Amino acid sequence: MTRRSDAFVFAMLAVVLAVALVASACIGAFTFTPARIASYIAQGAGWNPMRDADALGRNVFFQLRLPRVFMGALAGAVLGVSGTLMQGLFRNPIVEPGLAGTSAGAALGASLVFVLGGGTGALAFSAPLGAFAVPVLAFGGAFGATILVYRISSSFGKVNVFTLLLAGIAVNAVCGAGTGFLSYVARDPQARNITFWSLGTFTTADWRGVSIVAACFAVCFVIALGYAKPLNALMLGEDEAALLGADPRKLIVRLLVLNTIMVAATTAMVGVIAFVGLVVPHVLRMVRSSSYAFLLPASALLGATMMVVVDIVAREVIPPAELPIGIITAVIGAPVFLWILLREQRRGSTNYYG
Amino acid sequence: MDDARGLELRDVTVRAGETPILNGVSVRFAPGKMNVVLGPNGAGKTTLLRVATGLAHPTSGEVRYDGESVAALAPEPLARRRAVLSQHVELAFSLSVADVVLMGRYPHYGRVPRARDFEIVERALELVGMADKREQAYPTLSGGEQQKAQLARVLAQIWRDEGDTSDERATHRFLFLDEPISGLDVHYQLHILQVVRGLLAREITVVAVLHDLNVAFEYGDRFVLLDQGRVAADESDSRSVSASVLERVFRVRAERIEGAGASGGYWHFEL
Repeated sequence: MTRRSDAFVFAMLAVVLAVALVASACIGAFTFTPARIASYIAQGAGWNPMRDADALGRNVFFQLRLPRVFMGALAGAVLGVSGTLMQGLFRNPIVEPGLAGTSAGAALGASLVFVLGGGTGALAFSAPLGAFAVPVLAFGGAFGATILVYRISSSFGKVNVFTLLLAGIAVNAVCGAGTGFLSYVARDPQARNITFWSLGTFTTADWRGVSIVAACFAVCFVIALGYAKPLNALMLGEDEAALLGADPRKLIVRLLVLNTIMVAATTAMVGVIAFVGLVVPHVLRMVRSSSYAFLLPASALLGATMMVVVDIVAREVIPPAELPIGIITAVIGAPVFLWILLREQRRGSTNYYG
Repeated sequence: MDDARGLELRDVTVRAGETPILNGVSVRFAPGKMNVVLGPNGAGKTTLLRVATGLAHPTSGEVRYDGESVAALAPEPLARRRAVLSQHVELAFSLSVADVVLMGRYPHYGRVPRARDFEIVERALELVGMADKREQAYPTLSGGEQQKAQLARVLAQIWRDEGDTSDERATHRFLFLDEPISGLDVHYQLHILQVVRGLLAREITVVAVLHDLNVAFEYGDRFVLLDQGRVAADESDSRSVSASVLERVFRVRAERIEGAGASGGYWHFEL
C-alpha cells in the first residue's frame, strides 16, 4: 500500500547485491578481471576445453575466493534477517544477535568443541556427536543465551530496554569470558585462532561451510517469511496479537528457534560479527517500512550486500594483512546504535517500545 | 428467535489464587445492542472482558458465542468473530495507518491480502473519518486519531457490509470496548461512541466497559453493574438504575437531575 511496490525495491537491492558480489570476486590479494572470472567459469563448465596455464589462479578463485564471497553474503543475510526477527520479537529496535548474546552463546558452544572436543578421557564429550558437535553445541549456547536475555528483560509481555541491554551485557560478558578462557588454555594453534575468530573472519570459508550455512539460512528464512503477519501484529503487543488470531507464545518460541539455528550455524563458521543485525533493519525501517512482509526479504538482501562490501574493505585496508570483520562492523554499527538510543531517549520514554 | 444467539457467560468464576475476581457471573448480551459494563475499580470489569473475549479462561463456568463454547474455538476463527478496542494501543514500530488497519484483516487471509481486504480497509477508514490519513505514519497521529485508526482496525476485523444479512456462517460478530474513550477529548469521545452505535444496525453485539456513568447511560441499551465480582444490577433502561445501588457500589452520593441529555436525566455525584 505504498508508493512503489515492494517487488521493485527487492529488485533494486538484488541488483546492488549482484554488483557487490562481482566486485568482491574480483578484488583481493589476487585480482581477477571479470573477463578472467568468466573464462574460469566457462572452463569449470567445460565450455572451453583449451588448456589453461593459469591453474593456480583458477584454484585460488574456486577454492578460496568464491567460497569466501558466498560465505560473506550468507552471513550478512543471516545476520540481517536475524536482527529483523529479534527486533520483532523483542518489539525493540536495539536488539540484534550480537547484543542479545545469541552470537556469543554460539561462539562459546562452538569453542568448547574446538578446544576440549578433541581431547581424551573426560574431555572427549563431543565424540558421540561426531561431526554435529560444533553446530549442536553452538545452537545450545546460542539458544540458552537468547532465552536468558529474553526472560530477564521481559515481564508481563513487555520488554524493558534497560534490562535488555544490561542482561545482554552480562550474558555477553559471561560467554566472552568462557570463550576467552578456552582460547587461553588451548594448546592447539588452531584453537588459539579463537581470538581472531571472536571478531569474525571469512578467511577459513570453504564450500562445506558455505553449504551448511546456505541450507540453514534457506530453511529458516522460508519458514520465517510465513510469520510476517503475526510479527506485524506483535507490534501492537502480545494481547492484541492474540486477539488477531496469533499465538504469541508459540510465535516467540518458534522464531527464536529458527533464529538461533541460523545464527549458530553462521557463528560456528565465521565467528561473532556484531551490529550488522542492528544496522540493516534500521536502515530499511527508515527508508521505507517496518512491515515484516517487506523487512524480512529486504534485510536478507541488504545484509548480504553490506557484509560483502565490509569483506572487501577488510581485505583491502591494510594489505597483505586482513582486518577482522567485526572491527569494521563495529565502527559502522556502534554510532548507529548510539544514535538510535539517543533518539529513543528524546522521545521521552525509554521503554516506549514496551 | 434462537435462544442461543449472542454472547453468554454461564456461571463464570475466575480466581487469582484463593481470591475470586469474578464470582458466578451469568449474563447474556443480545445482538444489535450496546451492552455497557459498569463498576468501580477492581469490580472485575477487565477480567470479565478478558474472559468474554477468550483472552483468559475462567476457573469454572463457560463463555458461549451463539451457543458455541469459546474455549473450543481456534484463535483465527475466534478472531473473525470478535474484536477488541483497548484503551490505548502503542505501536512498537512505525507503520502507515492503512497498514495498521489492514492488521484487522489478518485472520481473514493467508500470506497476501485480497482485493476485498483492501476494500474493507478503505471502508473502515471512511467510516471512522480517517480516509485522508491512510498513508500517514501511525505514531505521528494525535491520541484521538490513533484511537480512530484502532477503531477502524477492529471494525475491519469483524467487518460486515451495511444491509448484508446473508451471514455465511450464521454467526454474530462481537465488538468489545475496553474503556475506549478514556483520555480522549470530548469530540473524539462522542465521535467514537457514535460510530460504534452506528454498527448496531449491522447486528454487531457491542460490550463496552465505560467509566463515565453519564456517557454510559446516554449511549448504552443495557447496563450491567459489577461489584466485587458479582452482578449488582442488570437493567435495560437507564432510568431503572437506582440511586441507592449507585451510591452503595461506587461509595458516593448520587442524585439524578431530570430532563437533561438523551437519556432524559443526568447523574450528579458527590463524595
